[in-house]
Amino acid sequence: MEQQQAATPLATPAAPEFALRARPNALQNIMKFARKKPLGAFGFILVFFMVAMTVGTPKAKFGVPELPDSPFGIELGQPYMSRYDEEKQFKIGRRLNINGSPSWENWLGTDSNGRDNWSRIVWGARRSLFIGLWALTVATSIGTFIGVISGYFRGILDTTVQRFMDALQSFPPLLTLILILTIAPFTSEPSLVVAAFALGFVGIPSIQRIVRGVVLSVREQQYIDAARVIGATDTRTMIFYVLPNIMASIIVVFSTGLGVVILAEAALAFVVPQAVPSDRASWGIMLNTARPGLVDHPWPGIASAGAIALAVLGFNISGDALRDVLDPRLRT
Amino acid sequence: MQQYIIRRSLLNIVVLFLVATMVFAALRIDPNQVVNRRAGSCFLQATAEECRMVARAELGLDASLPQQYWDFMSGLVQGDLGRSFLENKSVLGEIAERASPSIELGLLQIFVGLIIALPIGIISAIRQDQPVDYILRSVSIFFLGVPSFVLAVFLIVATGRWGGGTLEFLGTGQGWVEIWEDPIANLKRVSGPALVGGLATGAVIMRFLRSQMLEVMRQDYVRTAWAKGLRERVVVIRHALRNALIPVLTVVGLLLGTVISGNVVLESIFGIPGVGLYVTISALQFDFPVMQGIVLLVALLLVFVNLAIDVTYGWLDPRIRYS
Repeated sequence: MEQQQAATPLATPAAPEFALRARPNALQNIMKFARKKPLGAFGFILVFFMVAMTVGTPKAKFGVPELPDSPFGIELGQPYMSRYDEEKQFKIGRRLNINGSPSWENWLGTDSNGRDNWSRIVWGARRSLFIGLWALTVATSIGTFIGVISGYFRGILDTTVQRFMDALQSFPPLLTLILILTIAPFTSEPSLVVAAFALGFVGIPSIQRIVRGVVLSVREQQYIDAARVIGATDTRTMIFYVLPNIMASIIVVFSTGLGVVILAEAALAFVVPQAVPSDRASWGIMLNTARPGLVDHPWPGIASAGAIALAVLGFNISGDALRDVLDPRLRT
Repeated sequence: MQQYIIRRSLLNIVVLFLVATMVFAALRIDPNQVVNRRAGSCFLQATAEECRMVARAELGLDASLPQQYWDFMSGLVQGDLGRSFLENKSVLGEIAERASPSIELGLLQIFVGLIIALPIGIISAIRQDQPVDYILRSVSIFFLGVPSFVLAVFLIVATGRWGGGTLEFLGTGQGWVEIWEDPIANLKRVSGPALVGGLATGAVIMRFLRSQMLEVMRQDYVRTAWAKGLRERVVVIRHALRNALIPVLTVVGLLLGTVISGNVVLESIFGIPGVGLYVTISALQFDFPVMQGIVLLVALLLVFVNLAIDVTYGWLDPRIRYS
């Protein structure tokens, strides 16, 4: 940092006319976004709703001292939005209320084990989001690393890396998933983390391709030349000059990727149900459990498929709106 | 141009070599699981260790790694993909049998996708942030979001119940007829899954086309076209769309690999004897030769389709010259 300040001393004193212009605060910015991009704002509402589903109380809300999965080591407790514990079974008289229709007690009906669909959707949101975030963290961090280095240095390194990525991309995604899940040495039992890692690994080639494309155009900009002229090393240029300028693309890739991973998890649950732990339902597992009775008892299917569809819709339209706003070339 | 094609073909061979090496390595990271799995189905009289020995020999894992690699590669060069473990049939023959349904379904699916994506992508780009953009885009992305087997089941039930006898072919079908034997029966058979898959593929292509169109519509040459007083249709289709289509083609090429080898869900629901189903079953049974074979053939298809796409760039965009 010292080096940069020494090189650009003019930047230190605050320019007075800049301070006079009132910068719009965060709320004003959000309102402006909502006015200009109502559909994108709707997408964000869907996404926030999904995130809100995961928030929970650390205390036992339903009396059951339940140890939740702890994504990223954070204990989330039992979600506020769920009305019951996810395993609670409902009865009509003495019989289990199996595949019940929606009622005041069960807003979205009950599943084939008599459990409340709405509550299970809320619990499942946590796992689906957890898988999505993990997978995307793996995919975007590795993808960005490879893409930036490959696009920045170009030449023989770029060609070699890109051919490797071509090779990786020509593996059928489902086959790669199955390969990782069954053959990799660390998979003795199904785990959310391994499933998430596998889903993320599959996304690396396409994400690095997008990142590399953006880097190729960014590295020709004048500010990159300027950085080199003031003596920035390659590492410094990549981290402080290239990375901030491709951040918009990465954010968009991340947000739309979440939708893709949620769908992929549903497909994975369909093809290899044993790959994802079934005791803690994700939306994909719920949908797969609902499959045999999809025609006669549609409510569990409608609930989980609807949740997946709305989440994918939310991530996609908010990602599109973000791109429109963040990409200066698309500003209207 | 010729030189370019030759150079790219050589690079493709390098890529295929990498694919072969990677798939070879991936299947040998931890062969113990595979050996154990196969040793499970062994004669009762033999001891566990004997069973494992037999399984290792069967899998060809008793040779040294370089020897295995050499055998695998020399087999490949001669076009020999080995025999499947499960049914002991030639892998190449097994795949060839299943290739045409998958390729046909994949192509039709992308065709349906393009039919959906082109109008929606164009309209929602030139009417950005207007109601028609929002409605078309939401509907299209919604179909991407609904998992395909839910859509498939819905299609089967809906056509069976309200199809009135004319649309039932979308949801039903038994067996398989090749397109050259009975084109109409064949197309009827594939139309259902192609429609379901195409709805999702269409949304992917549509999103990409829209963002490309948005960018192209702001270019100077499009402004010039407007300034010349050209009609909207001419500006949009002849000046903007042609330029926006180029990156879209790349995405379509990449999708092709996925839809040909990865249509497990649709193939299993509609009972289409394709590659996707075969590779999944083989993978779950650790049928190494089949997995290797399919990965290689899909890679072969993919690299040359991508080459073909790059060559068509030159035709779509005269500014691109290959030297």
